[in-house]
Formats: sequence, C-alpha cells, structure tokens
Amino acid sequence: MRNSWLIAIRELKERFSNGTFLWMMILGPLFFLVLLFFLFKSGDEGKKSLKVLIADPAGLMENKIITSEGKTISYYFIGDYLEIEEFRDGKSYQNFDALIEVNEKVLMNKKSFVFYRENPSADVKMQLKFQLERRVEEVMIENFTNLSVDQFRQIKQPLNVDFRNVYDPKNEASDLEGYVGLVFGFLIVLFVLLFGMTILRSTTKEKSNRIVEVILASVKPYQLMLGKITGIGLAALIQIFVWTFFIAIGLIVFRQYIFPDMFDPSNWEGIQVSAEVQQQLMETNSAERYNQFVDLIYERINFGFMFIHFLFFFIAAYYFYGAFFSTIGSIAGTESDGQQFVLPIVIILGLSVYFGFLAVVVPDATIVKYASLIPFTAPVVMMVKLAQGLPIGSYYLVILSLLILIVSTLILLWLAGKIYKNGILQFGHRAKLKNIFQGLKSK
Amino acid sequence: MLAITDVSKSFNRKLALDAVSLHVQKGEIYGLLGPNGAGKTTLIRIINQIIEADKGTLRFDGKLMSNEHLRLIGYLPEERGLYKSMGVLEQLVFLAQLRGMSKENAVKSANFWLEKFDIKDWSKKRIEELSKGMAQKVQFIAAIVHEPELLILDEPLSGFDPLNVELILNELKSLKSQGKTIILSTHNMRSVEEICDRAALIHQSKKLAEDSVWNLRATQKSGEFSIRFSGNMIAFANALWTDFELIDKKELGDNRFLAVVKMRGSNQINDLLNALMGQIKIEAVEERIPTMQEVFMNLISGKEVENA
Repeated sequence: MRNSWLIAIRELKERFSNGTFLWMMILGPLFFLVLLFFLFKSGDEGKKSLKVLIADPAGLMENKIITSEGKTISYYFIGDYLEIEEFRDGKSYQNFDALIEVNEKVLMNKKSFVFYRENPSADVKMQLKFQLERRVEEVMIENFTNLSVDQFRQIKQPLNVDFRNVYDPKNEASDLEGYVGLVFGFLIVLFVLLFGMTILRSTTKEKSNRIVEVILASVKPYQLMLGKITGIGLAALIQIFVWTFFIAIGLIVFRQYIFPDMFDPSNWEGIQVSAEVQQQLMETNSAERYNQFVDLIYERINFGFMFIHFLFFFIAAYYFYGAFFSTIGSIAGTESDGQQFVLPIVIILGLSVYFGFLAVVVPDATIVKYASLIPFTAPVVMMVKLAQGLPIGSYYLVILSLLILIVSTLILLWLAGKIYKNGILQFGHRAKLKNIFQGLKSK
Repeated sequence: MLAITDVSKSFNRKLALDAVSLHVQKGEIYGLLGPNGAGKTTLIRIINQIIEADKGTLRFDGKLMSNEHLRLIGYLPEERGLYKSMGVLEQLVFLAQLRGMSKENAVKSANFWLEKFDIKDWSKKRIEELSKGMAQKVQFIAAIVHEPELLILDEPLSGFDPLNVELILNELKSLKSQGKTIILSTHNMRSVEEICDRAALIHQSKKLAEDSVWNLRATQKSGEFSIRFSGNMIAFANALWTDFELIDKKELGDNRFLAVVKMRGSNQINDLLNALMGQIKIEAVEERIPTMQEVFMNLISGKEVENA
C-alpha cells in the first residue's frame, strides 16, 4: 500500500510538472465561463431602446399608453391601417423600430403583432408586452365592465392550471435539469477519457524507457497499476476541484458584477403596474424571466448535491475505465500501438453519453432504467437522473447503481492486474488480443 | 546467503530454466555466465520476484524468500532506464523509498553516493539533461542507494567507457569488502576473472558448471606450459623428442623464443626441465591456465558436441 501511494504521488508530481496539465487547469474553467457568459448574454442581447408606431384604426387606445420612467420605449400612434410593406419600405417610417397592429378585433381575439426591424432585447420585449397588455386591459374594463381599473385588478386572478407527474408532484424534474445532469455526465466521460489516455501513455512510457523492470523489483505489478491509476486520478480530481472553484468564482462575478440586473426586481420598476402586480412580479423568479440558463444555474440546480454524487460516480467510473486503459498500456508495445484498442472504449464512452441523452428526453424508458445500472453507462445516466430529481423512495437506485459499479470495478481491476502482470515485461512487440487471453489464463 | 534449488520456469511451453540450482555465499562476488538467451535474465527476475518460478525454491539466509527480502536486494537490470523528466536526487529518493527506506535516510544516502560518484552538482538536473555516462552512474547508484545486502547486476559494465568500468569494478570490490554479496551477470570475462570469487555457467536453460573461478579455470587446463628461452630452436625441438609436443612457437629476437609445450604420457614439468637443461638457457616457465573466455567457450562447445 505504501509503495502504491509512493507511485501515486510520483505520478501526481509528474502531472504537475507538465505544462499542458497546468494550462488545462486554467483554460478549462475559462472556456466553460466564456460559454456561460454567452449563454447568459443571449438573454440580454438585442436593441435596448425602441421607437414604436401603433397602428390603431379603430382608435381603441385613444392615443394613450403609459410608458416607463426611463422611456426605453416611446410610442407614436396612427389612426389608420398600415401595411407591413409600407412600414418596412416607406421613407416616413424608417425612424420607427417597430410597428404594433391594434385593430378593432383585438378586444375579442386578444391577438396583436409586433413587427420589428431589429430583434429587441428580452428586457425591452417584456416592457413592451406589459405596457401594451395593460393599456388594452384598461380599454376592455372601460368597454365591458362597470368596474374601476383598480377594482378589476383586485378581483382578476387567473386560474393557474399546472400539469404534474404523479411521481414528481413538486415538478422537480425537467428537461433543462436533465441537460445539466448530462453536462455533469459528459464531464465524467471527458475526464475519464483524458486521464485514461494519460494512464495509457504513462504505462507505455515506463515500458519503453525500461524503468518498469526496476520498479517491478520493488513493487507488485498490481500495486504499480493501482498506484498509477490513483496518482493520475488524484491529478484529475485536483483538476476538477480547481475547475469547480474557478467556475464558482466566475458565477459569483457574473452575478455580482457582470449581470447584476438579472436578479434585481427593481429593474422591473420601470413598468408602470399596480402595487399588487409589482409585488407579484417581485415574488416570481426574476432570473427566470431574464434567461432560462441563468435561472437554471442559479436557482434550480442543487450544485452541492450534484457535486457530491458527481465525485462518487466520477471516482468509480475513473477506476472502472482506468483498468481498461492500464491493461491496454501494459500489453501495447508503444503508445500508438495501444491506440487501436482505445477505439472500442471511446465508442462505449460515446454510447454512455447517448444513453444520458436518452435519459433526458425519455426519462421513463425501460432501456434508460437498465442503463442507469449497467456500469458502462451508469455514471452518465445516473447524473442525468439525479439532476432531474429522483422520485421519493427511489434513492436506493443510486446506491444500487454505485454498488454495482464499485463491485464491477474491483473485479475488473483484479482481471486487469493479471493481464498487466503478464504484459508489462513484454517489450518490443505489437499488442494482440491473444496477449489479453494469455494474461487472463496466467497464474 | 542465497540458495536456489531446482528452479524451473517456462513461458508458453518454452522452457526458460530447467531445474537450476545455485548457491551464492555471503560476501562473495558471484558471476552468472551464459550466452544470450540462456535463461540468466529469467533467473534474475525470479530472484527479484518480478516473475514467479514454476517449480523450485529460493532461500535467503535460510528463509524462504518473501516480499520482505526485496528491500535487502538491489537490482540493476540489463535493459535499464529512468524517468527522464524526473530530477536525479528526486528519482534516487523515490527508488530508495520503494525499497523500504525512509525519506530522510534515502536523501542522505543518495547525496552520499552522488558525491562519491562526483555528480552531486547534477542532483537537481532532470535525467534527460544528463550525458549517457552520467545517467548510467545514476542507474548504478539507484541499485545501491538503499544499502542492499545482495546486489544483482545484469551487464553492469555495458555501455561504460573504460574509466567508468574501472570505477564500477572498484566500487564492487569496495562493496564486497563491506560484506555485501554481489551477483554479476556479464559477458565481460575479464571482469569475471578480475573480481568474481565464484561463477556458474548457464546454457540452454540448464546449469553447466558452478565453482570458484580458479577451479573452473584449473579444471579446464590441458597440461600446457609456456617456456621463454634463449638458444637454438632446433636444439630445443630435438630435446622435446617424443615425450613432449611443441604446440606453438614465437621468435622474440636475439635468439630468444617463446614456446608452448604439451606433456605427453605421464611426463611432468620436471621431466621437461630435465630434458631441456643444457640444451638451451631457460628464462621463464609458466603453466598455461585457460582464460574464463576459453572456459566459457570450452564448456559450451563441449555441451553442444554432447547434444549432437
């Protein structure tokens, strides 16, 4: 055990002396944050201020509409029909950014079109929608009721009919959460592949520079294999922790400094609505209205819960696949020789991501249930399932999946140890499948 | 120190060692000789517990060999290498720790040897920055840094320049004087004659001979004497008559000759000297003892004739 640990520490040090590893440590989270930045930004892009022409041939709106204090949107009225082509091409309309059609039928069919020249930002769209809706509402109250506007708004409470899965009454599962689980699963696959290849490289390197014979005179092949997998795994874990740390810092910076308005309900004060609606707006999730990715990342994912499970599944998956990579390394003459045997593993890893995707789109499919227990696919599929939220009383499936994975890993490591022992001292040959069988048959 | 009894090993039905028994005594330098493919490396790997024997036993100081004994063994394989990107000192400490040494002692011992081999200034350098000769010195230190009782060296002199060969041979003698036991597998017969106390010859997976180096050479001697003399060569040849056979002769100049003579029948060196007295002036007489190279060749060719 002591020797395995010494080998693990040596491997770890070697990774840290490698420039690529250190660059990955910085560039990985940076890349991730840049991606998130653009996803967040996508909710904020578009034109910030708008000059809007309302075509109101019936004069329903009486040339009145309440605008926000900052006058992000300025409205102009025309008491006639206006063809879209005329608005689009007519010289006198070129100053207007958008045309809103409010014909006489709007009170019945409640349908209105906004034709824009350039897509407005989500914020501006939201303001425009609110302002138009509320003006039409006032017109309707005046035409069809004897109530004052405030009275009407007090009694107006829409019936919210929400469809929910009987196994998920709190509606915790959703596609979006599933995709976050898939990202976690994909990270497992990515790290297993990256660091699995490092195991392969490191093993073939020890063979080709012949240090392996000196090492094997001090430690058992099994200890060497385990130490190597563990050391490279430790490097992977540190990489993951550093990524997590930087991404967390990045998310805090996004929230506090780069996109501060996405969580601030006061940003919605510009909309002239009654106190009750203002309150209602504040109570609803401002982030959700801003951008579904923001909402997903800051509000709906329990990162602590996901991260702990990610670690367990990553460690188990890493040892599981690591056994394959070290076996290939031990029977291969050179690194490039070993790569032909890597392809099947890459295909299996790719399949596990595909099953993870299936778990997102058809979470209740039978094949997904099996895939969540099969060691090859379990880490990715289980991450999706955990992100979607497990039905009450079914957490045992996570334990069962992890247990199957751990037991399979132990068996695999034992078999890999036998092949490793047989292959590691064979030099200058090409890897063949028969080497694997010879190893399995050996004592 | 090390008793190997009836050890056999085969790889995929190909016999690599066939009931080989060796006895290495404490404090001696033991030569393990044999042509390429004879099974020496397999035997060495079995002693180092890198591979397991199919049959036979190995005892270390009378006890069956176990993992615990590995820390008492130092090993320099023929196909040797180091971690190229690792520092010299760091590497030596790592290898000593693997052999059970504490980090503190490992650092102390590594520094001692680096100084002794005059490469202390390079201790922070990576192996890939060293010359081949220096890397070989580091490899040799790696085998002895943990102060082993038994040192197994597989072709330790290959690739060394003559200066470093001398350095290594002297170091081996010094280690022997400290009571360490050394197994030396080599094709360098001069070094075997120079430093080995005993040797074994392995050929075609079997042990052909095991004895002291002197005895191995002595048992191969063929009763030949080299005689340096001054005088007449014809008179010398006539004096031999039918009792002795002239094998070889060489003129040294100024009527001086070096002749190799073989006894016939039951004749001894005294009979030869009596026959020559008065005919020539004898300057020196020496019995010809075969070199280890000749012993090696004789034993192997003898075995091959026997097999044929």
